Amino acid sequence: MAQVDHISSGTDADRTGLSRRRFLQASLLGAGGLSLAGCGTLEAGLAGTPVAPGTVTFWDLFGGGDGARMQQMLQGFTKQYPRLELQHITLSWGNPYYTKLALATIGDQPPDVGVSHASRLPTLHGADLLQELPAQALSKHGLTPDKFNPKALRACTFNGKLFGLPLDTHPFVLFYNTDLCKKAGLLDAQGNLAAMDSPEAFTDALVRGKEASGQWGAVASINNDTATCWRLFQSFYSQLGGQMLQQEGTQVVMDDAKALQVLTFLKDLSGTRKLMPQDVDYAGGIALFANGRSAFYLQGEWEITTFQLAKTPFSMTLFPNVFGGEGGYAVQADFHTLVVPAAGNDDARTDRALTLIRSLLDQSLTWAEGGHVPSWQPVAESSKYRELKPQSNYAAASDAAVIDPPGWYSGSGSNFEVIIGSAVGSVLAGQAEPEAAVRAMRSGLEQYADTPSPV
Amino acid sequence: MSTAVSEVPDLRNTKERSTAASYDNRHKTFNRLCTGVLIAFSVLWLVPIFWALDTAVKPNAETTKIPTTWFIENPTLESFRTVLEAGDIWKWYLSSFITSTAVAAGTVLTASMAAYAISRLHFRGRNAVFFFILAGIMIPVQVLIVPLFREFDAVNLLNTYWAVILPQIPTAIAVFIFVQFFNGLPKELEEAARVDGASSWRIYRTIVMPLSRPAVSAVAIFTFVWSWNNLLWPLLVLTNPNLMTIQVGLSSQIGNYGIRYADIMASALLGGLPLLAAFLLFQRNIVEGIAGTGLKG
Amino acid sequence: MTTSTVAGSRAKTPAGPRTGQRPQRTDRSAYWMLAPFVALYVLFVIGPTIYAFILSLFNGSLVRGGLGSFAGLSNYANALQSQDFWSSVWHTLLFTILTTPPLVVLAFFFALLADRATRGRWFFRLAFFAPYVLPSAVLSLIWIWIYTPDSGLASDFLGRIGVTAPGWLGDPNWAMISVAIATVWWTLGFNFVLYLAGLQDIPRELYEAAAIDGAGPIQQIRRITIPLLNRTTTLVAILQVIASLKIFDQIYLMTQGGPNYSTRPALEYIYDESFTNMRIGYGAAVSMLFFILILIASFVWLAIVRQQGRTA
Repeated sequence: MAQVDHISSGTDADRTGLSRRRFLQASLLGAGGLSLAGCGTLEAGLAGTPVAPGTVTFWDLFGGGDGARMQQMLQGFTKQYPRLELQHITLSWGNPYYTKLALATIGDQPPDVGVSHASRLPTLHGADLLQELPAQALSKHGLTPDKFNPKALRACTFNGKLFGLPLDTHPFVLFYNTDLCKKAGLLDAQGNLAAMDSPEAFTDALVRGKEASGQWGAVASINNDTATCWRLFQSFYSQLGGQMLQQEGTQVVMDDAKALQVLTFLKDLSGTRKLMPQDVDYAGGIALFANGRSAFYLQGEWEITTFQLAKTPFSMTLFPNVFGGEGGYAVQADFHTLVVPAAGNDDARTDRALTLIRSLLDQSLTWAEGGHVPSWQPVAESSKYRELKPQSNYAAASDAAVIDPPGWYSGSGSNFEVIIGSAVGSVLAGQAEPEAAVRAMRSGLEQYADTPSPV
Repeated sequence: MSTAVSEVPDLRNTKERSTAASYDNRHKTFNRLCTGVLIAFSVLWLVPIFWALDTAVKPNAETTKIPTTWFIENPTLESFRTVLEAGDIWKWYLSSFITSTAVAAGTVLTASMAAYAISRLHFRGRNAVFFFILAGIMIPVQVLIVPLFREFDAVNLLNTYWAVILPQIPTAIAVFIFVQFFNGLPKELEEAARVDGASSWRIYRTIVMPLSRPAVSAVAIFTFVWSWNNLLWPLLVLTNPNLMTIQVGLSSQIGNYGIRYADIMASALLGGLPLLAAFLLFQRNIVEGIAGTGLKG
Repeated sequence: MTTSTVAGSRAKTPAGPRTGQRPQRTDRSAYWMLAPFVALYVLFVIGPTIYAFILSLFNGSLVRGGLGSFAGLSNYANALQSQDFWSSVWHTLLFTILTTPPLVVLAFFFALLADRATRGRWFFRLAFFAPYVLPSAVLSLIWIWIYTPDSGLASDFLGRIGVTAPGWLGDPNWAMISVAIATVWWTLGFNFVLYLAGLQDIPRELYEAAAIDGAGPIQQIRRITIPLLNRTTTLVAILQVIASLKIFDQIYLMTQGGPNYSTRPALEYIYDESFTNMRIGYGAAVSMLFFILILIASFVWLAIVRQQGRTA
């Protein structure tokens, strides 16, 4: 390197140095201004102290329509409690959210309230990341057990202790285009959809739906959407009485025959009879149904707002009991629960957290308008909710709900769902045969089952 | 390096170089063609940033219109206002600024001190220490994320600036750069001061460092930018939204805004603004710095 | 270089450290000048490397203290037998293969063109280098928007020229290519500047001599420019490869390793296993294997550079 050149080119260095110095001075002044404003942040950054004591921090994973509705409810909270500061963050749905939550809790600065799918609670609880909700504090805020859907509340209970409070059940449902179904002769005198209680009835309905729409009978998103594929599969599979995992996920108890039966049925609908598209992603699926190019839409209830805004003539009902027969109805679902991540049993913090939780539960009707089945009984049993159509049509799903089996690698948006969902998706897309998909599911699951659990 | 014939006058650094007269003016058309192609590609290269700007100046609803168009019906700075008022971006600026400045200062200080000892001072095991430090260049930082996370967890320093700053300071390559530079400095001044009884620290502070401005600015700039743009490690240790750096803060927004693309682009542009502004101001220095590191061979 | 001519009883000291020099009085201040750096270095580089190795021999959990049960080499065995591991290595290599040639060749091409430009070089430098200073999160936000189906610029542009746009980031066959395109846009400027500086060091007389001999511009480039820039090209390529092996940011941000893990690189595999699946022992083993991979690449680099130094 020609160091001598640098040293001798004194004039150039001086010139640029001066202008650079002036810029640095200006930016330092600006930064000084910033830091005066952010003194609390600086102290927090250096000493790990909380930024603004008395703030309620809330993390969720609700994007899209759910996100907007949650914003509405949070505004209701701040209006009700003007003296409580609220800090709200929305993180990406699935693993990113749960990873961040775990990291924050390990890092001793978790949010005061978080959202968790009930299927993720066993892992979070097992990892000691959740704070127990003491009965006394709960009754102070009126959060007594009788006010909750029993099944949902059971999912939040571990060894008789409560580690979360259920907000809703969000099941897989059936959307149907009322105009197209009327045209196809699938509606009864009251305008309700006729029951489809067998594979033949379901297939027949789709055939007629396809004729009416001119394009598709039903659509379920496949591309880049293992969650939907999993839910569709699980609904049918559970109706057959099948289970996937036991012993905290260390044992794979998948019934190959039943799984094969479901996958063969799905292949028949999509690849053989071409009643369902084989190449469609999440947004594409919404577009097809919204524009009346499919008679049925198979998805969770949360897309109701999308279709209301698109002014699609539609209604919703329980996902059909194709394989369950009498008394065997089941449908894939999960519960959203509100949890208090562990951070050293601070009573004031617990109190703030429960205040927010109570306020959100009180606004369950707003949440129900977004399609969810409220777990908060005062709302679920109210006439206002029962009059909410089509949301109340599928309220019975919460009793038939089958959530993901417990396992450290299982839960909403987890690797478990990705393994099954990919295999199911490949059958729906016509890329794999049902037998191969069953083999893929089994080998994928067994690999995880054999891995020692980190919690 | 180059195979220049020494008798011929060195035209490399004179202004004449930039005129066509001294460079192959037999092929003017070819040159013009080259320039045309280059202009086309440069404009293409500028498209993404300008498209982001175009989107940010639209109202959110206009951004999802199909077919997509550059034309803005109702230009507005609403998105920028939304982002700035939400307040997060100020906290991110602050965190990035504090941590990157601390890292740059810490690296320059500790690395130059160590390099001075290695380059100028005599002590047992000098070579061993140098090679010991150089070995660190081989270790990719990403390999260390798990043990470092554990370390900071053990002393309860997660979610603090220390967790971000400290692991970024011991940069072996900074020591290397300083050692190379110091080795090239003439020793007369230092020797004279030594005879006058000055301590090593005094010599380092008053003679060697003032002469080392090129190395200092190179190391300071590289470390500052590298720290500013660091994503993975701050992502792991800064889960407190009030402490997030720009990288972590922006990344937490992905998928968040739904289809409010104008807000997203405003957020992105504001996030990139500090370094972009710094680049525009210090273009020549940065470019010369890269070119002058001797990397080009 | 220069030797000291100071009068006095002090012995002459040549510049730079050299083995076999006369034993000198140990300068105490050396130790405390070294101390801050070495302390931080041991605490945050060497220590963690050793700790990572130890962790890799156990089944540690992120949410439990301590090392966990002893695993011996089973974490390594599991990793080497894991399809996810090898997929992630392949994705890293694929990314390297997709980005290195364009980043070397295009940068060289643009630098050649810019070298011939008589004016406005500042504009070209600005256009190509400005993206380089953007942080990866800004890059990702902008390109996610460009790649958005339907309303994004990329799909719109292809639609206008009558080509059906692929699913970009949502299509397993196109996701890595989409990320690669964004990466080339992002980092080309650095290589461009490097090449431009190298080009400007080539004395014009060589070209003039060749021109007198009747060589056209293409021939001049082939016979003079490319050979003289050999060192630069090697360096640019090697730096590019080593940087690509450490890819994480853009892929994590733009695709989260998807769709269905079809773009997940090695580093993100380590992140997922260590922090999402909480298996830090296994994650440490994978990162050790990754470390070996980087070491091999670095040694190959050293060998090439040393050989070039010998032949130069």
